[in-house]
Amino acid sequence: MLVLSRKINQSIMIGDDIRIVIVAVDRDQVKLGIEAPRTVPVHRSEVYEEIRRTNQEALGAAPVATGKPERATLKPRTKPNR
Amino acid sequence: MEQEQITVDLPKFGPCTFEAGEVLDFPWGLPGFPDLHRWLPLNLDSHPTFVWLQSLDDTSVALPAVDPWMVFETYDPKLPPYAFTSLEIREATEFATLCVVVVTPNAEEMTINLMAPLIINLRTRKGRQIVLDGSAHSPREPMPRKMPASSKSA
Repeated sequence: MLVLSRKINQSIMIGDDIRIVIVAVDRDQVKLGIEAPRTVPVHRSEVYEEIRRTNQEALGAAPVATGKPERATLKPRTKPNR
Repeated sequence: MEQEQITVDLPKFGPCTFEAGEVLDFPWGLPGFPDLHRWLPLNLDSHPTFVWLQSLDDTSVALPAVDPWMVFETYDPKLPPYAFTSLEIREATEFATLCVVVVTPNAEEMTINLMAPLIINLRTRKGRQIVLDGSAHSPREPMPRKMPASSKSA
């Protein structure tokens, strides 16, 4: 892992369009500012990890399904948007 | 024009024939399944409420999912801008929303992942699991035992 030392208000660039700024440091807590393109998702790792776990549990404990597989028709959201 | 017909033998469900144009493309995979890009949405007679997302890259993988509004009518996911831009969604009527369901081994309890809905552009068949970080939605919301919209005859 690359390890860099930064001071408050300094930043690092990841690629050409992602900037991470050290906004504040307070004891064991660091506040980061993240500037990234609108197409890039940014998550706290533990949230992403939880989603990964639930996906794998969904697979592992899937109910015993019987019956002929038929192609499902997907529909737009059933709740009116406005 | 005839669509190309494909038949696969699925470990969980047996033989299944579909057309190439029905396959969903998840270019980013799913968290936990980063390399599985091609998925086929299936219904089984015994579980009409569930949509099974069957992986075509690893046929041993199939995830049960439901339309969240069949379970929680007031569900209101606030999708971040990257969901729309990365999936090229132009209008609200052109995407479907599914939420993955976890069933405990003895089927005593079911939970639904409302925090990370699967968003599928029905025009391009491209999909992505969108993590609603910072939202109040739970990744393990208990499912009511009876799902109101699944059957009117009960």
